[in-house]
Amino acid sequence: MKSIILMAAVALLSTTACQAQIKNAKTATVKVYGNCGMCETTIEKAANKTKVSTVDWNEETKMATITYDSKKTNVDAVLKNIALAGYDNQSFLAPDAAYNKLPGCCKYDREKKTAMLTQPAKDTMTTMQNHTNHQHDGMVNATQETNQLTAVFDSYFSLKDALVKTDGTIASAKAKDLQKAINAVKMEKLAMDVHNSWMKVLNNLKEDAEHINITKDIAHQRDYFMSLSTNMYALIKVAKPTETVYYQYCPMANEGKGANWLSKESGVKNPYYGAQMLTCGKTVETIK
Amino acid sequence: MVIQKSFCKKLLPLAAFFTLLISNLFAQKIVRYDLYVKDTIVNFTGKQKRAIAVNGQIPMPTLTFTEGDTAEIYVHNELNEETSLHWHGLFLPNKEDGVPNLTQMPIKPHTTHLYRFAIIQHGTHWYHSHTVLQEQIGMYGNFVMLKKQGDPTFRKGIDDLPAVPVVLSEWTDYKPENVHRMLHNASDWFAIKKNATQSYGEAIKAGHFKTKLKNEWKRMLAMDVSDVYYDKILMNGNPSTDITSIDGKQLKAGDKIRLRISNGGASSYFWLTYAGGRITVVANDGNDVEPVEVDRLIIAVSETYDVVVTIPAENTAFEFLATTEDRTNSASYYIGNGIKQLMTPQPRLKYFEGMKMMNGMMKMNGDLDDMGMNMSLNQMDMNVVMYPEITGELKKKGDEERKGMEMKNDHSNHSDNQYNSNALSDIVTLNYAMLQSPTKTNLPKDAPVKELKFELTGNMNRYVWSLDNKVVSEADKILIKKGENIRIILYNGSMMRHPMHLHGHDFRVLNGQGDNAPLKNIVDIMPMETDTLEFNANVEGDWFFHCHILYHMMSGMGRVLSYEKQAANPLIPNPKLAQRKLFADDRAFHFMAENDFATNGNDGMAMLQNTRWSISTEWRLGYTPHHGKETETHIGRYIGKMQWLMPFIGFDWRYRKMEKDGMGMIKGEKNLFGQTNTKDNRRQFSLGVAYTLPMLVILQTEIYHDGNVRVQLMREDIPVAKRLRMSFMLNSDKEYMAGFKYIVGKNFALSTHYDSDMGFGAGVTINY
Repeated sequence: MKSIILMAAVALLSTTACQAQIKNAKTATVKVYGNCGMCETTIEKAANKTKVSTVDWNEETKMATITYDSKKTNVDAVLKNIALAGYDNQSFLAPDAAYNKLPGCCKYDREKKTAMLTQPAKDTMTTMQNHTNHQHDGMVNATQETNQLTAVFDSYFSLKDALVKTDGTIASAKAKDLQKAINAVKMEKLAMDVHNSWMKVLNNLKEDAEHINITKDIAHQRDYFMSLSTNMYALIKVAKPTETVYYQYCPMANEGKGANWLSKESGVKNPYYGAQMLTCGKTVETIK
Repeated sequence: MVIQKSFCKKLLPLAAFFTLLISNLFAQKIVRYDLYVKDTIVNFTGKQKRAIAVNGQIPMPTLTFTEGDTAEIYVHNELNEETSLHWHGLFLPNKEDGVPNLTQMPIKPHTTHLYRFAIIQHGTHWYHSHTVLQEQIGMYGNFVMLKKQGDPTFRKGIDDLPAVPVVLSEWTDYKPENVHRMLHNASDWFAIKKNATQSYGEAIKAGHFKTKLKNEWKRMLAMDVSDVYYDKILMNGNPSTDITSIDGKQLKAGDKIRLRISNGGASSYFWLTYAGGRITVVANDGNDVEPVEVDRLIIAVSETYDVVVTIPAENTAFEFLATTEDRTNSASYYIGNGIKQLMTPQPRLKYFEGMKMMNGMMKMNGDLDDMGMNMSLNQMDMNVVMYPEITGELKKKGDEERKGMEMKNDHSNHSDNQYNSNALSDIVTLNYAMLQSPTKTNLPKDAPVKELKFELTGNMNRYVWSLDNKVVSEADKILIKKGENIRIILYNGSMMRHPMHLHGHDFRVLNGQGDNAPLKNIVDIMPMETDTLEFNANVEGDWFFHCHILYHMMSGMGRVLSYEKQAANPLIPNPKLAQRKLFADDRAFHFMAENDFATNGNDGMAMLQNTRWSISTEWRLGYTPHHGKETETHIGRYIGKMQWLMPFIGFDWRYRKMEKDGMGMIKGEKNLFGQTNTKDNRRQFSLGVAYTLPMLVILQTEIYHDGNVRVQLMREDIPVAKRLRMSFMLNSDKEYMAGFKYIVGKNFALSTHYDSDMGFGAGVTINY
């Protein structure tokens, strides 16, 4: 109990200390697009300025809490710096060059960017910053690329359903479909960020799918399904599903260490235990 | 801010003085503006500062006319000082040109002056004060002249686009007089603010120690592409502007917008770039040019460009960015509705690459060597070596790619394209050779030709800028005859670029476009470039031809072109007085002073100097009798283009109680030449000469009236680190001194030194 009080006191002290640095402090919470912990570091580094502004970005909610000296700066000035570091936000779109410089894992989806109107305008942009080609291809091929990966995701969902039903034979067959879908993907047509993500998970996806395919032992299949799900999750985060997908979690699976899976339905149907504990688990993230 | 604009629509009979043919269908219109010039307080940075507003606004209101109108502009001077307004780029009678003490007497405080002239051209121009440094603190504005209806040069899809006039400018919290003074005193405070000191410490860190050494060996101070640090960059008076609609019409994807851009900055060039794609240049200096698409352009001080940009996507505003040439600051226009798409900022300059380039170009005698490249029209930009976007990012030491880059550079070393940014990269940068007039611009064929040649000269160390090493007050007016074709050949032998502006005429820039050479009234000329301009002398008067960088102009970089046998200007009742006042600008003396309050004594100096003369006094005041007190006063004249040589006359006074030796005798001091002096209450006249040696060490040789000789080597302000300076002195009187100074603020430094007379001391240095 004592230690809790102490911790609380320390926490309190440190917050007041932080705020004491910034005079005329105002706070705003705004959307900043990003993916991962690395993004958080970059975003906060771009926006933190001693005695002028501090930013706390939340990876889960993509919301940044900006505390700033209202006499020295404003929210837009801070957001501009964040955008110049490569991160789109509610006021500014990052320059393409800055976005392209981000490490692969940080290449979030640029939801706010609207497609260029005319062909000439697009040409202009590409010549202007010669490394933006991928960016534009990405936009043009956006639909095509989702179609490609849809087959992969659909096979995965069928496989999951088979596991929910605790049917090793169907699971094995669905894993075969998944293998085919994976091999059918023309990765050169993927947008650059999706492509990067795809490259990272490809070998693991293949391996897991193969293992599930060659056995009919449901326990083995569920073991491989754990890592398969983790990789699918990483991929779908970047590639964006065509419809809402739920990332779900069962704390008991994996011998009490917990495991995740993806589902098209918000209701929990546990692929690790099936009928044994069908509704054990919860949705931890909704991916749109 | 509301523009006060009063039109007087009067129908007048066709005026006789009107030289243009006007269709009888259109009645001539008088357009009247009233401009109230008044002191104001602005707050751009959080500090309240004095500025000048016209009709309560900065920039001054946009004046709009249509070709064929008559302009009547009433200037009400509500300042407590003189003023004037110059209509930049306009064809008008000489007495309306607005150059005080040349084309008119200054507008006295609390009086009204009327400028009345016919509008006989169209295009984007601007206007500004031509009185001292008023242009820096708010006196600039847009001046737009539209084509009249039915003009055969009307261009569909360009001249009918929604247009926004934009005047670029800069703001500094320092008084412009102070900026001017600091520039003349080679203060490096602006470099510190810009983080561009280029000290030895920084050079070593960047692996460029040798470069820095060679640079100082060639007697150069650290160079930058611009002289002054500005707190804010403004487009129409704001660092950031959203433009979501024009004339009440919301902007949407696909819209094209024409920006009429004038550079009203006092000393800054700006890079113009657009986040929504390429920029189409459609006019320059108010004259139409064949549309040319570029990724970026640099707008010289006082130039104007009309550009067309397109909004390429829905729900997005695109940043139009104006970045200073030194890339330390910028201003933005966001064009369109929605989330703002930013432009990639211009990356920081690679200063030491620039230094290396300058080392290669500079000969030991201070002349520039273009290595046979025959540069002109901004096609080769030596500065590309400093542009990361063209020549690659600065690489860390040992980086493999660096070697690759250098290899590449070596290969292109002898090619013509080494400095051609359009050949080196995919980025298209505008240069003058790409400008083409849509109409023929040939001069009258049978007119006699008069050729004038000027070399642009100057040196940064003393901030002296001139033509053929003569400032305005040192040169005669240049006489030309009405009807002649004047050809001006300019060569820039100085280390800075200069935007040269001619009043009252447009000239053709011979740029390889033949009959369709573009018409301009400013030509930006980079170091080592040669450009040829020609115009027909068709309006009598005294016309100023000068560098438009305000602080260069005020230093005397210009000439007056005067028509032979012309009628006297009624606005100049006393030409001699006017000339004296005009010359006073570049004859002005600049004052600086410095004192080190140290534990071992007071060291200081005060200096008054102008283009050629220098009057300086140094003092060392000890706190005890045997530390003594001494002062030296020198009056000297700088000789030569580089001003490395300064003969002077001096007066010394020293008082020092000498220590007695064992016999009770006063010891004299012997110098290196075996001459003795007592220093005890010594008054001496001297003749001497100071010469700046390589490494910027000053060698000073003096002979006193008692025959004593003193030779001294001295160097002040050796840049050790960004804010750390070292100095040393030793002389043949066996005196020596070495010290360090850490610059804390513009006028304040911490210092420590060891002096052979006074020993070790530390203190603070205050300078002005």
